[in-house]
Amino acid sequence: MPPESTETSVVDSTATSFRIQKERTQFLGLTWDECIQWFFGGNALVAVIILGLITFFLFREGSSFFGQNRDNITIYRLAGLEYVDLGRQQEKDHAALSRYLADVRLRTHQYYTVQVGLPAKEASARLKEFDLYAERFARASASIREQLSELSELATDIKARHLENQNLAEKRRQLLAAGKKDEAAAVEILPIDFPVEVAVITSTLPAYAEASASFSKSLEELVAAPPALPDPELSARLGRFQELTRAFIASFPETLASMQSWDATVPVPLSQSFSAFIFGRQWLTASFWQDWYGAMPLIAGSMLVSLIALVLAVPLGVGAAIYVNQLASPVEQRVIKPAIEFISAIPSVVLGFFGIAVLGEFLRIASGWSFLSWVPGFPFAERLNALTAGCLLGLIAVPTIFTLAEDAINNVPRAFKEASYALGASRLQTIIRIIVPASLSGIVSAILLGLGRVIGETMVVLLCAGNRIAIPDFTAGLGVVTQPVHTMTGIIAQEMGEVEPGGIHYRALFVVGLLLFFIALILNYFAQKIVRKYKVSIG
Amino acid sequence: MENTSPAAAAPTRSLAMPLRATPKDDAEPVPTLIDVRNLDFYYGAKQALFDINIEIPDRRVTAFIGPSGCGKSTLLRCLNRMNDLIDGTAVKRGAIKIRDIDIYGPSVDPIELRKRVGMVFQKSNPFPKSIYENIIYGLRIQGVKSKTKLDEVVEKSLRGAALWDEVKDRLHESGLGLSGGQQQRLCIARTIAVEPEVILMDEPCSALDPIATAKVEELIHELKKQFTIIIVTHSMQQAARCSDRTAFFYMGKLIEFDATHNIFMNPKNPQTEAYVSGRFG
Ligand SMILES: Nc1ncnc2c1ncn2[C@@H]1O[C@H](COP(=O)(O)OP(=O)(O)OP(=O)(O)O)[C@@H](O)[C@H]1O
Ligand SMILES: [Mg+2]
Repeated sequence: MPPESTETSVVDSTATSFRIQKERTQFLGLTWDECIQWFFGGNALVAVIILGLITFFLFREGSSFFGQNRDNITIYRLAGLEYVDLGRQQEKDHAALSRYLADVRLRTHQYYTVQVGLPAKEASARLKEFDLYAERFARASASIREQLSELSELATDIKARHLENQNLAEKRRQLLAAGKKDEAAAVEILPIDFPVEVAVITSTLPAYAEASASFSKSLEELVAAPPALPDPELSARLGRFQELTRAFIASFPETLASMQSWDATVPVPLSQSFSAFIFGRQWLTASFWQDWYGAMPLIAGSMLVSLIALVLAVPLGVGAAIYVNQLASPVEQRVIKPAIEFISAIPSVVLGFFGIAVLGEFLRIASGWSFLSWVPGFPFAERLNALTAGCLLGLIAVPTIFTLAEDAINNVPRAFKEASYALGASRLQTIIRIIVPASLSGIVSAILLGLGRVIGETMVVLLCAGNRIAIPDFTAGLGVVTQPVHTMTGIIAQEMGEVEPGGIHYRALFVVGLLLFFIALILNYFAQKIVRKYKVSIG
Repeated sequence: MENTSPAAAAPTRSLAMPLRATPKDDAEPVPTLIDVRNLDFYYGAKQALFDINIEIPDRRVTAFIGPSGCGKSTLLRCLNRMNDLIDGTAVKRGAIKIRDIDIYGPSVDPIELRKRVGMVFQKSNPFPKSIYENIIYGLRIQGVKSKTKLDEVVEKSLRGAALWDEVKDRLHESGLGLSGGQQQRLCIARTIAVEPEVILMDEPCSALDPIATAKVEELIHELKKQFTIIIVTHSMQQAARCSDRTAFFYMGKLIEFDATHNIFMNPKNPQTEAYVSGRFG
């Protein structure tokens, strides 16, 4: 064959065999590839939109809280409640001192019966002088107490009328909205002249100052002549009592000065509404006196419980991850991994139930064992407390931390390990000096995500944390863990069902939710950032 | 490149010297350091090494060559018991003696063994730590704390690995920031820092460019004054350039072991001949 013809025949055969065009199936004008792409893209979009909606909704519901809370604090001031509270604080401080005395009495009584061996009756008899003293001490505040209770009534009356007016105004607004003009006009609102009304309260200041002077005088007399006690330790306690009382007396002029300078017409800044929420030490709702929405007890409770959980879960989760990945035999791996991961499948309400019925009870009993009495906070009486909740939360966090930390450890290149062994390192040295440092950022982000899981957990804390709304007493040292607490998640779950939608309480719960949302966001952000950095440095 | 490191002192020697040097080596008898006898090695049920007998000379470079999967790495990793780290491996028969001590004997601690028999891997694997920390890792785990001693070792090892001049100003930067060739020399420096007797190298240059390879080969020349070196390589030229003895493996068996120039110039076994002349592999 001539060369040209060979050439053409090759070209021809290529043209017939090299067919790359194909009729594609179409669906709504899209190819299948595009359909699939749209499907997954759509799903991802929905997820993003939902996240956006949640954020928006939380903000919308929560944001008007601060305005409402400002109104709440404003009326507290306008009606004079704030003024009366200045005096009531004195009353409370005095009551605390009385309790201190009662405590000293109890200890003295114990001293007589246990150490000296007197019968209870005889002990009480010996405390006669002390009892008289305590009674005189308690009675010293009688006159200011009387005055304060009158002032309280006046102030609550002003506030009640103000709230009533608000209700009436709301009713009128609704009637107007419904087009019933006549009925709306018939709703009668008696305006309150706050300065005049409050003046009635503040005008009692001279009388109050007088009562306070005599109060202070009688306290001084009492402090100067304390009853004798039989034991130096008890006397020391009484000495402390004297000290505290003297400090209390010294605060009188200051209290009077602040009552003097108090002014109902000073406007409440919005920032105070913020700080009263974030730093407020009281979460007090449906109170006859004044509602407070201070998130501090809840934040502190959540933090305390989470801290306990992490203290337990980090060593367990990271330790198990190291063990399973580096030391365990294949059989152990096959058992341990699913077992730990199974924990996360237990419904948290079941865990909470277990916490109440078994763990809480066990911890309470164990705290009474004499050989454990050195543990701070032991023994304790409440079955439900931060420790019980923290233990269970720790259990919940273990699978998260374990799985992610194991992943991180698994990602450490085998070559590092081999190099370490080849240089004569033992297994432990390799783990401590190479594996853990190389996977540290992964482990840290595992811990952060575990923390996120713990802070957001609701059921267990609601059931097991004891739900006492108060900042735990951190002066108790480590013993603080045995105190009951309330948490951010717990309060929402507990109170959301009972509040009136749109009210200040409802909004306050939303702001707590917003706070939780941000904490989770920040934790996740840092976890991801750390992981990314870790991928760059190792991979 | 001007520096005073030992390897750079004789830069021209690298390519031409070995073939000339080998016959001289053969002239005098060399004491044996590692004596492998009748070694059968298994990965689980799979036998990877069959009746290996080989005597590795002291302070010489021995090259292991052979087609992929013939067991070169396996034998190498038997010598410092790195295979212990793989589940199911076992030496079913035979023994390996280093200075007449059976390294699989019951009283031998593999950790101590690995301090005497160091290893450099195919893919350079510096730790994600500073250059300084990489070098002193072996000493740190032995509990050496003295700063002066550590500084001394760092300089000595880096000079020994012909890396000192390139990195002396950045000792505290990450070892991962070095080039591939530098990283491999860092790994060699890290290995000689613990002063082993034997250095095992498993295809140390396979990921390096020709210039970096030449540097490592120069280094091997220097190192053999002090260390016994076994190098696994797929490059005939490399084996020819830098080794004194060459062992040819095929399908888990040692086919031929002789002075390098004999293996390449007049191999006794036809399989060896076919392999080194590039007719199969
Ligand atoms: N971890 C292991 N488990 C089971 N078999 C293995 C393992 N490592 C290696 N082998 C087998 O042992 C034999 C020898 O492998 P080895 O790695 O020693 O070969 P090699 O000569 O180093 O090859 P290469 O030149 O490709 O590195 C091969 O058949 C391989 O499949
Ligand atoms: Mg190999």
